[in-house]
Amino acid sequence: MAEKLLEIKNLKQHFNVGKANEVKAVDGISFDIYKGETLGLVGESGCGKSTTGRSIIRLYDATDGEVLYEGENVHGKKSKKDLKKFNRKMQMIFQDPYASLNQRMKVMDIIAEGIDIHGLAKNSKEREQMVFSLLETVGLNKEHANRYPHEFSGGQRQRLGIARALAVDPDFIIADEPISALDVSIQAQVVNLLKDLQKEKGLTYLFIAHDLSMVKYISDRIAVMYFGRMVELAPAEDLYNNPMHPYTQSLLSAIPLPDPNYERNRVRKSYDPATHNYAEGEDVRMREITPGHFVDCSEREFEALKAGSLKV
Amino acid sequence: MEKILQVKDLELSFNTFGGEVKAIRGVNFDLYKGETLAIVGESGSGKSVTTKSIMRLLPESSAEFKNGEILFGGRDLTKLSDKEMQKIRGKDISMIFQDPMTSLNPTMPIGRQITEPLLKHQKISKSEARKVAIDLLRLVGMPKPELRMKQYPHQFSGGQRQRIVIAISLACNPQILIADEPTTALDVTIQAQILELMKDLQKKIDTSIIFITHDLGVVANVADRVAVMYGGKIVEIGTVDEIFYNPQHPYTWGLLSSMPSLDTEDAKLYAIPGTPPDLLDPPKGDAFALRSEYAMKIDMEMDPPFFKITDTHMAATWLLHPDAPQVEPPVSVIERMKKFPGSRYYEGSAN
Repeated sequence: MAEKLLEIKNLKQHFNVGKANEVKAVDGISFDIYKGETLGLVGESGCGKSTTGRSIIRLYDATDGEVLYEGENVHGKKSKKDLKKFNRKMQMIFQDPYASLNQRMKVMDIIAEGIDIHGLAKNSKEREQMVFSLLETVGLNKEHANRYPHEFSGGQRQRLGIARALAVDPDFIIADEPISALDVSIQAQVVNLLKDLQKEKGLTYLFIAHDLSMVKYISDRIAVMYFGRMVELAPAEDLYNNPMHPYTQSLLSAIPLPDPNYERNRVRKSYDPATHNYAEGEDVRMREITPGHFVDCSEREFEALKAGSLKV
Repeated sequence: MEKILQVKDLELSFNTFGGEVKAIRGVNFDLYKGETLAIVGESGSGKSVTTKSIMRLLPESSAEFKNGEILFGGRDLTKLSDKEMQKIRGKDISMIFQDPMTSLNPTMPIGRQITEPLLKHQKISKSEARKVAIDLLRLVGMPKPELRMKQYPHQFSGGQRQRIVIAISLACNPQILIADEPTTALDVTIQAQILELMKDLQKKIDTSIIFITHDLGVVANVADRVAVMYGGKIVEIGTVDEIFYNPQHPYTWGLLSSMPSLDTEDAKLYAIPGTPPDLLDPPKGDAFALRSEYAMKIDMEMDPPFFKITDTHMAATWLLHPDAPQVEPPVSVIERMKKFPGSRYYEGSAN
C-alpha cells in the first residue's frame, strides 16, 4: 500500500485528569493514515471520534501518545514556526456550518484568513484572486466574496468551510461530520465535491461521521470506535461484508436502509460488552485477522476469529 | 378504512418583513386510523409547518391560514379558538419533537411532566395519575420507573429522554401522534430502539402516526404510506412500496438516488443540482422544474395537477400526462422499479 502520511500511536486524550470526573475520551488508539486515502471514523456520539480528530490536529494537547505526521510528532514542544508548518498541512472542516463561520466577517476575509497568517499572497490583488479561484473550486462564484455568512444556505456555508480549509493548500483534511447538518439532496453535492477535490489535489481525508452509508461510500478504509477505543479497522467493503467485532455488527444492523422489503426483514443485533468475558488483565488489543482487517480482541478471540475467517 | 384526519387545500403564509412567505401552497392528504404516514422533504419544504398548523402551534402574529381546512372529528381545526384547541392538544393529538434535550422542562421532575397532561385532560386524582405515569414509563421500557419519576431530565441519556417524551405524548391515548424528526438527534443504535418502540406502541394502542423525517431509511422502516413534499406542496403520495419501488416524480427520483445504498459501487453519487426554491417568490409552474433534468416547457408555465397511478398512488408531474414523452428515470431508480409488479420495468418475481 501507499506510504504512511500519519501514524497515530497509542493516542490518549483524558479530560479533568486527576479529578473525580476524569473522562477518558480517547483511551489509547493506534492507527495509520495512508497518503491519498479516505479513512472513515464512525461510532456513536460520545465514543471519542471527534476528540480523536481534534487531538490529531492539536486542538487539544494529547494526554499521552504520539501523532506522527510524515514521521514528525505533532504534539510536544514546538516553536511557533514549526506549529505554523503543521497547520498549513492539516486543515479541518467542522460539522456546523452555522457556528464555524464568523458572522461578522465577509466571506473574502474568512477564506483569506489562512492566506494572511501564512503570508501566501504577495499583495491584495493576488489575495483577491486566490479567494476568487477558491470560491470557484467549491462551486460558488466571485460575487459571493463580498457577502456575509448569513446570506448563504447550509450547503453553501459548508462549501465556504471547505474553501477556507483549501486556502492554505493542505495535504490532509479532517472532516468532522461535514454533512450531518445538511439536507439529503445537498449532502450528495458536498460529498461529490469532496471526492472531486481529492482526485484533483491528491488530498488525504479523515472523515468522521455517524451516517454509515455515506461513510461507506466515501471511505477507502473505515475505523469503528466504541467508548474511547478503536474496536475494528478494515477496508470499507470488508467491514460491511464481514464485520467481526460484535459492536460493529450491532452498528451495521441498526442502519435503516431506503428499502422497505429489507426493513421488514431486518434483524437488529444488540451489543453487550459483557459478552467478551475478558479475564482480569487479559491482553486486549488490535490484532490483524485477515490482511488489513484489524479487530480489538484478546488472544483467545483472535484464535477464534482467525479460525472463523479461514473457513470463509 | 376510517379517515381520522383530512387536510384539504391547505394554504398558509408567513408575513415577514421581506414579504409573504408562502410556506404551504395547497396541501391535501387524509390520515387513516392506525396507519403511519411519513412526510419527507428537505428543510423548507413545509413538512414541519404542515404538522404545526395541525397542532396550531404557529405564531398567530405572523402565520396566516389563507385557504383550506383541517378536519378532525367533524371540526375544522383552523377555525377553533385557542381554548378549544387546548382541549385537543395533548389529548386527541399529541406531538413528539426532534430534540429531546429542549422539549422537556429541565427544572421539573419527569414524573410531574408525565402526569401534567393526565391531570389537565382527565378527571383523575394525583395518586392515580402517578400510577398511570409509572405504567407509561414501564411501557416505554424505562427500568425502575418508580425511582426514575423523581429525577430530572439531565439525569437521563438522549434515548431515555426521547422515551420520556413518548410517554408524555401517549399519556392520554391520543388518536393522532405527530412525530417531528423524533430520532434525528439520536445515534443509529438508539434510533433503531426508539423506532421499534414506536411501532410496538402503535400496535398496542392503535393510534395514527404522522412521521416527519428527511431520512429515507427511517421512512422505509416505519411508514405505511409516504407523502413527499417539495416547495410547500405534496408532489407525490403513495404506499411505502409504491414510493420506494415505483416512484414517478423527478424529485422523488432525485431523493432516492442521492442516498448511497450499502452496495452503491464507486460511481458518482447523484446530486440534485441547485437549491430549494425561495417561497417568498415561488417559481411559476412546477417548483422543482428549475432543478430537474426532466423539466419540459409546460413545467415552467403551469403547475402540474395530481395524476393518479393507482387508487393509493398519486404524483404531481406533467410527465404522467398522456401527451408527455416517455423518459428514462435514473439507473438506480430503474433498479428499484424492477422489483415492483405494476411498474414498466418489472422483471417478474425473480427472487
